[in-house]
Amino acid sequence: MSEIATAGIRPARRGSLAAGAEAARDAPDARRLLQLALAGVWLLDGVLQYQAFMFSKDFTGMLSDTASGNPAVVASPITWNASLVQHHLVLLNAIFATIQVLLGIGIAWRPAVRVALAASIAWALGVWWFGEGLGMVLTSDASPVNGAPGAVILYALLAVLLWPADRPGRVAPFTAARAVGAPVARALWLVLWLSLAWFALLPGNRAPQALHDMIAGMADGEPGWLAALDRGAASLVAHQGLAASVVLAIALVVVAAGVYLPARYVKGTLVLAIVIAAVIWVFGEAFGVILTGGGTDPNSGPLLALLALAYWPVRTAVTAPVAATDEGTAAS
Amino acid sequence: MIPSWILDIFAAVMLVVAAVSAARLAVARPWQRGPRPAALADIDIAHLLMAIAMAGMLASGLRTLPDGAWEVVFAVMTAWFAYRVTRDAQASGIRALAGGHCAPHLIHAGAMLYMFVAVAAPAAHGTGGMTGMGGGLSGMGTLGLPFLAFLFALALVGYSIWDLDQLSGPGTSGHYSLAAARVAPPGPVLAGVGATARPGAAASVAVAEPAGPSLAAETAGEAPAVPPASAPADGTGVLAPWVATGCRIAMGITMAFMLVIMI
Repeated sequence: MSEIATAGIRPARRGSLAAGAEAARDAPDARRLLQLALAGVWLLDGVLQYQAFMFSKDFTGMLSDTASGNPAVVASPITWNASLVQHHLVLLNAIFATIQVLLGIGIAWRPAVRVALAASIAWALGVWWFGEGLGMVLTSDASPVNGAPGAVILYALLAVLLWPADRPGRVAPFTAARAVGAPVARALWLVLWLSLAWFALLPGNRAPQALHDMIAGMADGEPGWLAALDRGAASLVAHQGLAASVVLAIALVVVAAGVYLPARYVKGTLVLAIVIAAVIWVFGEAFGVILTGGGTDPNSGPLLALLALAYWPVRTAVTAPVAATDEGTAAS
Repeated sequence: MIPSWILDIFAAVMLVVAAVSAARLAVARPWQRGPRPAALADIDIAHLLMAIAMAGMLASGLRTLPDGAWEVVFAVMTAWFAYRVTRDAQASGIRALAGGHCAPHLIHAGAMLYMFVAVAAPAAHGTGGMTGMGGGLSGMGTLGLPFLAFLFALALVGYSIWDLDQLSGPGTSGHYSLAAARVAPPGPVLAGVGATARPGAAASVAVAEPAGPSLAAETAGEAPAVPPASAPADGTGVLAPWVATGCRIAMGITMAFMLVIMI
C-alpha cells in the first residue's frame, strides 16, 4: 500500500514528474481506502434505513426499548425522541435514511470529506444516544457479543482517527495515528478493547446460559443456514457462560494491549482482533440481522475489523511536513 | 410498508438515467462508423435497459416488458459482461476483475437478473407486466436467497463509493477527469495513467502512443479519457465519461436500495 506523502504536490504542473505524481495521487492511500470503507458502511446504513420495518411502529418500539435500564437523565430524552419519531414516523425516518446516504456520499466525494466526516461524528453521537441508548453501556445488558459499546460510536471513533490531516513532521507508525498521534490513538484503542473485556465479565454475561441464550436468540427470523450456525454455536457454549466469558475477556485484553507491543506482535494481535470481530459478527450479531429485514446497520463486527486495519503497522508511513491544504490531500 | 413517494423518487431518478443514456446513444450514433468505438455503446445500452426495468419495478405505472422478457434481457446482458470481464482479465490480469469497468456492469446485470428470478413466489403471480416486482417492493414481497441480495448490495455500494471517489479525484489524468475529456490534442496522447486509478494499482509511467482511443479507456469499456483529435465532439457534453459514471453511481445506489428493501 502506498503511503506516499503528497502534500505540497500540485496537480500536473511538473513536466516529467507529472505522470508519476498523478498516479500516486489517484491511487488512494491506506487512509483513503479506510475512509471509503467507512463511507460504504454509512451508505449501507442509509439504504437499510429505508426498509419497510423502519417505517413501522416496531422501529419506534425499538428506539424506546433502548431507554430501559438507563439512568433517567439518559432515558428521558430517548423516550421523548421515540415519541417524536412515532408521531412523524414516515417523514423523520425518510430524513434519517437520507442523511445517512448523504454522509456516505459525502465521505466518498473528496471535496466534501471533511464536512461529511465532521457531520458523521455529530450524527453518530446523536444516534448513539437516541437510537442505541449509549450502546447500553450504562446498563447491565452491554456485551461485546451483541454490539456494545454500540456500533455507531465506532463510526465516530473511525471518523476521528481517519480525519484527513497529518501531524507536522511526525512519522506515523500506523494509519490511525496520522491525525491524532500514536499515543492518543493507542490510548483510544486500549480504552475500547478493555471496555469490551469489562462488558464480557459483567454478571449478566457470565451466567451459565447467558452466552447461549444471546447467540440462540439471534436465530429467529434468519435464513436456515445462518439459524443453524447460530444454534450450533449456542450449543457449544451451553452452560459454559463463565468459562466462555473469561476466555473472551482474556482475548480482548490481549488485543487491547497488543498495540503497545513491538510491530511483529502487533500484527498478531490485530489479526486476533479481526478474528474476534468476525466471530462476533457472524455468531453474536448474525450480520447485524440484516437478513431478517430489520437491521438498521451491520452492527459492530465490521467496524471493529475496520478499526483494526487502521492500526496495522505501515512500513514507510511518512506524514506531511505541513498540514494538507488542497482538495486531493484533504481526501487522504 | 414503504411510502410510495419514496419509491417514486427513486423511479424518477432511474428515468433520468434512462433519458441520459438514450441521449448518449443518440449523440454517439454507435450504429454508424465513427470515432467512438461501437463496443463502448454496450455500457449505455445496459444503463438504458436497466434504468427502464428498475423504474418499472419501483413504480407500477412505469411497467414495460413482462418479467420473463426482462429475465432474458438480463441473462444475455450478464453473459455479455461476463465475456467482457473475462476478456479484460486475459488482457490485464486478475486486476480487471476488481477494478475494470466491466466488472461493475457485470454485478449490475447479475443483480438485475437475480431480482427478477428470485422474487418470492406470491409476487410472481402477477397477471402481466411487472406486477410481481412492483407488488413485491410496495407489498413486502421478498427475495429468495437473501444472503445473495446482501452480497449484491455490498458490491453495489462498494462500486458506487469507489466511483464517487474517482469521480471527485484531484488528478487531471483520471478516467473521469473533466479536463481530460475536454481536450483533444492533435499529437500523441498519454495512455496508461488513467489505468492506474484502479483498485490496487500502483504508480505507472505514462507512455506515448499515436492519437486514438487510449488502450486503458477502451479496455475499461468507457469513453476514452482523451478522445482522438478527429472526434472533437466525443467525450464532451453528454458523452463525457463522468456522465456515464454518474449514471452508474445512481443505478448502483438505487439497485442496492431495491435489494435491501426486498430482503
